[in-house]
Amino acid sequence: MRNTTRLLDVLDRAEAGPIVEELQWDMQIVPQAVMGLLAQHKIKMPSVADSVVTTDDALADRLFEAGFSLAAQLGAYCVSTSRRIQFTREEIRTALEVAPVEVTIGEGNDRATERKRKVEDRLPPFIKGGGVGTPLPEDLYMPVTQSYAQEPLIDAVINCTLSHVYGRELRSRTPWEVLAAWHEVELSKTACKRAGRPGLALGCVENAVSEIGELSGTSHGGFSTQDWHHIAMISEFKTDYMALSKLAHLVRTGSVIHAFYNTIYGGSCGGRDGMALAIVSGCILLQMLYMTNTHSVSPAHPFYDNDTTPEILQAISLAQQALARNSRLMTDVVITPVGGPGTKTLLYECAAMAIMAAASGATGLIGPRSAAGVNIAHVSGLEARFTAEVARAASGMPRADADVIVRRLVDLYKPDLDKRPKGLPFQEVYDVVTIKPRPAWLEMYEQVKGELRQMGLPLA
Amino acid sequence: MDQSSWQSSEMQTRLRSAIEGLDEADAVALAREALEAGLSPLDFFRAVIEPVLTAIGDAFSRLEVFLPDLMRAGVIVKAIQSEVLEPAIRQSGGASTSEGTVVIGTAQGDIHDIGKNMVALMLQVNGFRVADMGTNVSTQAIIDAARRENADIIAMSSLLTTSLPFIKDVLARLDAAGERKRFMVVAGGAPVTTEWSQAAGLDGFAEDAIEAVAMCRGLMAGRKGVAS
Repeated sequence: MRNTTRLLDVLDRAEAGPIVEELQWDMQIVPQAVMGLLAQHKIKMPSVADSVVTTDDALADRLFEAGFSLAAQLGAYCVSTSRRIQFTREEIRTALEVAPVEVTIGEGNDRATERKRKVEDRLPPFIKGGGVGTPLPEDLYMPVTQSYAQEPLIDAVINCTLSHVYGRELRSRTPWEVLAAWHEVELSKTACKRAGRPGLALGCVENAVSEIGELSGTSHGGFSTQDWHHIAMISEFKTDYMALSKLAHLVRTGSVIHAFYNTIYGGSCGGRDGMALAIVSGCILLQMLYMTNTHSVSPAHPFYDNDTTPEILQAISLAQQALARNSRLMTDVVITPVGGPGTKTLLYECAAMAIMAAASGATGLIGPRSAAGVNIAHVSGLEARFTAEVARAASGMPRADADVIVRRLVDLYKPDLDKRPKGLPFQEVYDVVTIKPRPAWLEMYEQVKGELRQMGLPLA
Repeated sequence: MDQSSWQSSEMQTRLRSAIEGLDEADAVALAREALEAGLSPLDFFRAVIEPVLTAIGDAFSRLEVFLPDLMRAGVIVKAIQSEVLEPAIRQSGGASTSEGTVVIGTAQGDIHDIGKNMVALMLQVNGFRVADMGTNVSTQAIIDAARRENADIIAMSSLLTTSLPFIKDVLARLDAAGERKRFMVVAGGAPVTTEWSQAAGLDGFAEDAIEAVAMCRGLMAGRKGVAS
């Protein structure tokens, strides 16, 4: 449950907790705590050749216990004050007991409710479609956003960023960030209106690298409190005054909060086991720090910038199951594939992530952030439609069956990961006037759906 | 296998074990014993340290070892260099074992640091002297550090498109100060592409920590070639 008392506690602790050097946090405190708890709780995941969507409930439960302990042992680190923000086990337990299990976002006829899901739940994951911060030129911002907003299976849109504003280069924490935040408001809201869904919730403020974008974009005439507002926890388990200023604003305006934490595969937490532990602990700490409605994870591969390698899929699967079985936290999965529009790689990656997430109890799916979200305008609404369809078809599927399909998909796209096939920009896969996918992209989408049916996925 | 290569192999095994156990004392003792037995600091670096670090770097590129392993290697190599090799080199007036000096930091406006930390550690374990300025480093601060450290390379990381203009500002400030040729300027991070780095006028860019080492080595080889 969110309230000012908890906000003040977090801010007080950021100014009164034990002081440690950031390097010591990154290089000693976090790795040692992670390694110690992995050993203590005997967290050892199976080979990815044997299982990507894991089915070991006892392992998932041990992972949750280890993640809970890690959150209590570490707390978070405030970079701005060089202090640890710590929580007792009792405080964490209480916060988890009162965490929300549903949230309604958007307005009017376009309101939608995201609900907590169980492992192998028949309820489909909530779909937040969009390019998740992928940079777009100004002239494409509205058509690209409309390509998501017009999709009936999408419950909310997650915005892209602007590469320029008024033709000028953007710089974080400058007046340009304020102008970009306002441009995002105007363009994304207009796109939703053009799609006939004026009250659709928007994931925002994507151009708010710092607090000034959030504070200006979430003000009179800007994004509403019923949009879903983002705050990041920096890897690993770190926050700062920029994030906490966003938090203070969102708490006092009563806005819906979505917080995210993207641990690095091979980073301070180590390999697959440490990554799974970091996801569980990270979601708990997001709840403790930010009193968030929904949480998301998208571990980053150190060389490909994606989260679709089998090792990362497996870690997300186990961590989602740990959280779904043992907590009320609503946890989304962000899809960050290497493939871009116009490639089968993208569709295979999206299908694998959607099936894994649906079977593992993820509350929602966010994205896809196609072509790793770093190639200008390499996103389109069709891959979000495809992801939603696959997720619906996979809801209720036993994990063992899901695992078979996911591993077949991984075999199909794994050889392409290091090639990073970024595909085509939006204007080459969509007609930018009618906002319809071009025939070649649509045909590829239908082909891959056919392949999935042959693999046993009950797609409509 | 002749005696010297057998000894190198044995020393490599011992160094590897010191890294795994984070045993600074044994690593320093090993280096001292090698030098007392007649090996030069440069020979020790090339025959013992370099092969071990190359193996660790290769394993990291396959994600068989992770950041904590790189950190351990960095700590051990730094201890050997500062406590044994560099003093011996200074005493004999010989050439440094350092591949070059890199000042590194995350660009202004960006607070992501794990990728930058990986690059810093990989450079360090591959023989570069690295001064890490941390995150959200202003353009003036990284230039000041490069001057202070007498750096060869200024390396900047950014995961945000909105921080990329600050990297270009570093080049502009160096130009304005007439110091553009004094430092080689490189960058990395998800939004940094070949096209962007060429348009910005950078001396190099790398997509990951492995590439960063190769790129910096290449730049240093070019610089040394020019110098000679």
